[in-house]
Amino acid sequence: MSSTSTTRSAVAVEARGLTVRHGRRSAPALDDCSFRLPAGRVSALVGPNGAGKSTLLATAAGLLRPSAGTLTVLGGEPAEARERIAYLAQDKPLHPQLTIAETLRLGAELNPARWDAPHAAAIVEQGSLDPGTKVRKLSGGQRTRVALALALGKRPDLMLLDEPMADLDPLARHELLGTLMADAAERGTTVLMSSHIVTELADACDHLLLLGGGRVRLGGGLDDLLLAHTVVTGRGTPADLAPHLVVESRPAGRGLTALIRDDGPVDERWQAERPSVEELVLAHLRSPDVPALLTPGTTPAPEAVAR
Amino acid sequence: MSAAAPTAPALRALPAPRGLVWTVLRLHRTALWIWTGFVVLTAGLLLWLYGPGAGHTQHLLDTYGYAGVQQDAWSSDMIGSPFSGSYNDLFQDPASLLNIASFAVAVFAAGSLTSRELENGTARLAWTQSVTPARWLTAKLAVPALVVTVGTGLLVVLYRMLWSAHSNLLLAGIGPRALYFAIGPATVAAPLFGLALGAVVGLALRRTLPALAVAGLAQYAVIAFRANSWPFQGRYQQPELSVRSRAITSTGKEIPDPGCYDSHACLARHDVVGFTRRYLPSPDYWPRQLLETGVLLAATVILVAVAFGVLRKRSTS
Repeated sequence: MSSTSTTRSAVAVEARGLTVRHGRRSAPALDDCSFRLPAGRVSALVGPNGAGKSTLLATAAGLLRPSAGTLTVLGGEPAEARERIAYLAQDKPLHPQLTIAETLRLGAELNPARWDAPHAAAIVEQGSLDPGTKVRKLSGGQRTRVALALALGKRPDLMLLDEPMADLDPLARHELLGTLMADAAERGTTVLMSSHIVTELADACDHLLLLGGGRVRLGGGLDDLLLAHTVVTGRGTPADLAPHLVVESRPAGRGLTALIRDDGPVDERWQAERPSVEELVLAHLRSPDVPALLTPGTTPAPEAVAR
Repeated sequence: MSAAAPTAPALRALPAPRGLVWTVLRLHRTALWIWTGFVVLTAGLLLWLYGPGAGHTQHLLDTYGYAGVQQDAWSSDMIGSPFSGSYNDLFQDPASLLNIASFAVAVFAAGSLTSRELENGTARLAWTQSVTPARWLTAKLAVPALVVTVGTGLLVVLYRMLWSAHSNLLLAGIGPRALYFAIGPATVAAPLFGLALGAVVGLALRRTLPALAVAGLAQYAVIAFRANSWPFQGRYQQPELSVRSRAITSTGKEIPDPGCYDSHACLARHDVVGFTRRYLPSPDYWPRQLLETGVLLAATVILVAVAFGVLRKRSTS
């Protein structure tokens, strides 16, 4: 372990053959997932409902045990890294009988080594919330803000956020995404946040992990993934696009439009343009049989796989 | 400000609860207040029975002997009811309250202490702070256990004190023996058992309503089983406690009760100026009490171990 600590420090999360089942007989929520997330990135965890996003985040937070494979977080078992991880569950659980101030006190009492009270208080203040208000009386978005303050006040090295922006208004979303990104930039915090709304995260994230049906479909830097794909329009059939990998194609006028994974330059017969994040994600979700693409930085270390 | 300043150092002398202890105390503040209220009110009732409440009945005993005790107990038209208001019935009430309390502790442990936190996700909130699930459960069990032990311990001491002072004012029959055996170390162990039982049920079921129902039924069954089933003697009724009852003459001689009821003329004829009466201690009190306490505490330890086992399945560490 210690001999590889320098390389591991650059990796925040590493999964090798990770399979997680909820119950012995049910279909796996995560099925043989292998990927790595570089440290210091803001990663979007994207996928349709039931893709395994929440399962992956809860497993990384040390709340679920892998049925098979391993998940390494910050160089160790997720449960051992508890102190350095902040986790925001999808339903933003908080104690309704506590006030906001007491909720933050809870964070201070349970994280004595790391708690940054001014930072947490500032996030609450930003939403012009009265610290004396009971959590029970808060709206959904206000609750989310308090839950995020609790997560950020811990000054974690890794933030696992399950649908953090879902019930925030656009202004609050913008503010809180800004806070997250500033944290990542200043302290090198790794952020992994899930959403089923792709565009919500496209601006804030520099890294993408796409899950579909419990498997990793795409993983890598957002720019790298976009550069690896092209939307082409022209006359012909999908077969004419060889040797490129056609992810998805559909008829358009007298020809077709296709999203391809480039293999060398595209023939000039085709009109080519870069896909949007949404096009990239949707094309992969509609074509579950297309092989997954993980950029080199996102692939688990080969020697580790061989082990 | 200036008024508060001098008291501040005195407050600081008490170590303020920190970390998980603070968390448990704050999250279950309402339950803590209810428990404190129960202890204060029950202690108040016991002290009243010990002091001013006993005066009238004691006077009747001194004047008429056991006939006076009977007269007082039967003066209410609701004899035997916990609400009759007669000294004989009020004397039994704290025991019923202690039984209800052990039931309430089990229901609390199954509900708001454990299953509610698992159901609404706040348990996971705690486990993703810098706190392992095992430490979380330790605090969840230790803090209430301490509070419950102090509360019931105090009440049992007061109750034993009351028994020594005024059990002679109780109607003879199965009641006194049941009460005599219901008050002791096992009375303190019973709610601790309820706490562990509730925690296991809550952790295993993870849903509040079923957990409340199952823990309530289970603790009720245990309370019912404890009554009169060897080695438990929560309400051990047979045989009746021996009682020593004597009349005292003006020369200080103790004679058998002449059976005058409330006839002053009869009492004067027998030269009776007072009465003495007391229940004799039963030699099997301590063996039974300690055996029951031991069985309950052993069961509690097993349940706590099971609770940690269930928690290991529910969490990853």
